Amino acid sequence: MTRVLESQLPILVVLLGLGTVAKIVTVRSGGEPGALSRLGPAVLMPGRLQAPALLLCAAVEAVLAAGLALGTHPFFRWGTAAFFAMSTYVLLELRRRRPDAGCGCFGEVSSAPVGLRSIARTVVLTGMSVVSVWAPVTGWTAATGMSWLTAAGVLVLAALSPEIEELLDRVRYRAPCEQRPGPAESATLARLRASGPWRAHRHELTSAEPYDSWRELCWRFFAFRNQQQDDVVFAVYLSGRRPAVRMAVVSGEDSGSSLPEYSPVSA
Amino acid sequence: MGYPIIERRRVLAAAALGREPGVPGPDNPQESGEAGGGPLRAVAGEILDISPHLIIIETPEGVQERLVIAPWATAWHGGDVAPAGLPVGSMVMMRTLREGRVVERIWADTTRITGTIQSIDGRKDLTVELDCGPHRGHRTVVIPYRASGRLQVRHPKFEPGYLFDAIGLRQEGASQALLPATSQPPYPARAVPPPPPAYAGVQQRIAGTATWSDTFDEEERGAAYPMLERSDTGCADAGVSCAGLPYLALGSLLQIRNVCSGRSANVPVVACGCLAGRFCDRCVECDTSPRGRIAELSPYSYVELGGDLVKGCFNAQIGLG
Repeated sequence: MTRVLESQLPILVVLLGLGTVAKIVTVRSGGEPGALSRLGPAVLMPGRLQAPALLLCAAVEAVLAAGLALGTHPFFRWGTAAFFAMSTYVLLELRRRRPDAGCGCFGEVSSAPVGLRSIARTVVLTGMSVVSVWAPVTGWTAATGMSWLTAAGVLVLAALSPEIEELLDRVRYRAPCEQRPGPAESATLARLRASGPWRAHRHELTSAEPYDSWRELCWRFFAFRNQQQDDVVFAVYLSGRRPAVRMAVVSGEDSGSSLPEYSPVSA
Repeated sequence: MGYPIIERRRVLAAAALGREPGVPGPDNPQESGEAGGGPLRAVAGEILDISPHLIIIETPEGVQERLVIAPWATAWHGGDVAPAGLPVGSMVMMRTLREGRVVERIWADTTRITGTIQSIDGRKDLTVELDCGPHRGHRTVVIPYRASGRLQVRHPKFEPGYLFDAIGLRQEGASQALLPATSQPPYPARAVPPPPPAYAGVQQRIAGTATWSDTFDEEERGAAYPMLERSDTGCADAGVSCAGLPYLALGSLLQIRNVCSGRSANVPVVACGCLAGRFCDRCVECDTSPRGRIAELSPYSYVELGGDLVKGCFNAQIGLG
């Protein structure tokens, strides 16, 4: 019987943790101000309180997750049950007052309008947290001895999560590389320095730091000077783990119809 | 980072990727005159003397030029006027034919006022303070009482935080807004809607609206483009657009086609169009364009592509030049 009571604790801890991280990432990355106004319980708040409300929600989740994972104090157990019960009410209210807004449970991934599945999920989570109130062990201990009941809980929650479909869609229909914000310039420079063309031409350059760098479409360009004061330009593709790297040497006086001195090579 | 480096980017990028570097300027001058009348040239200057058939101007370089005014020519100075009625001393932008010798359309003292409303004062004549973006600073404009109704019809959210775009006159150092340049977007300036979902596969041409701005250097032919990397330009507001644009850099060459007149030209990206990217509006110059401003052109480029400064936009397609 005790195995039944504690079986759902690990799920609750993991979900609360994921919710915290996703909310903080959403607020930090921010996107455009106003993006939060389409998300979650924050939508019910006035504009300037939306980010603090989301962060407060994340903080409560973090405290509950830590309390469930590390202790057996009834405060955290009942607190979790109360949190999910309140979430159910908030989602019902959200669906009634702002049918266009997403639940924001996992940050901006949950931007689809609140449906019956999201509400059913919080009801199931409330049930799980009520069952877990009388579990004799901490969440950490429960996680080491997981049973088929835990797996069943995961399956039920996965079936009730619209976010999984959203993530699959995002992977399948990603915006083309040209329209996605690129990786940081330093990360691309590190990829360039790990590439074959860089190793082949490194000794010709006067400086290891580019004097100019810019991004066009899916390429980032780095311009260097070599000992003859010619321009050495490297182009690094912004997508993929081992991106293509091309390079060319353009003579300093050349300002138009130039021919690359080396044929393009890729890493 | 100076201009020579930025202009060189195009050559370097073309060399690295093994493509043609492209040349700024009108595309296929022979074909570009399909709207009739051959290639257009924009000429600007200060009126020294004007008669019904001849205009004498001093160009920004200080050269006097005499141009013939075509019989069908029209002029705008706060309203449609006869060319001979333009005041001496006003700054004009002209659309000319025949290598810049024959004037077809004159815009005198025309300015465009684009920005985010900061404050509005006054009872009859309104004084509006605008934030014109991180590169252009603040600007104060006056809306005379006779124009305020017409402007407010197209700017229903006439309050701080919302966008403003109007065309007006520059007189004695002050700007007067007279005509709305667009229908005001209904959202606050900082809440631009996301672009429509894009799917993998590059679009060859992107359509939207092209506008103009008078904040470029004199005689500069170029465009401000919204979709630039924030880290490259040092502009925290760049990279916002609702048109689904690809990322480009300062110095990239844009091929812009005016769908209404059929003219096209290669125009270099010379500035960050962070303000243009906040407008998710359409142009209805010759048809209804898709939403979003894809480029903000300098007056020279805009006029040479066949645009009318007073109308404020033309339906455009862009490709990478």
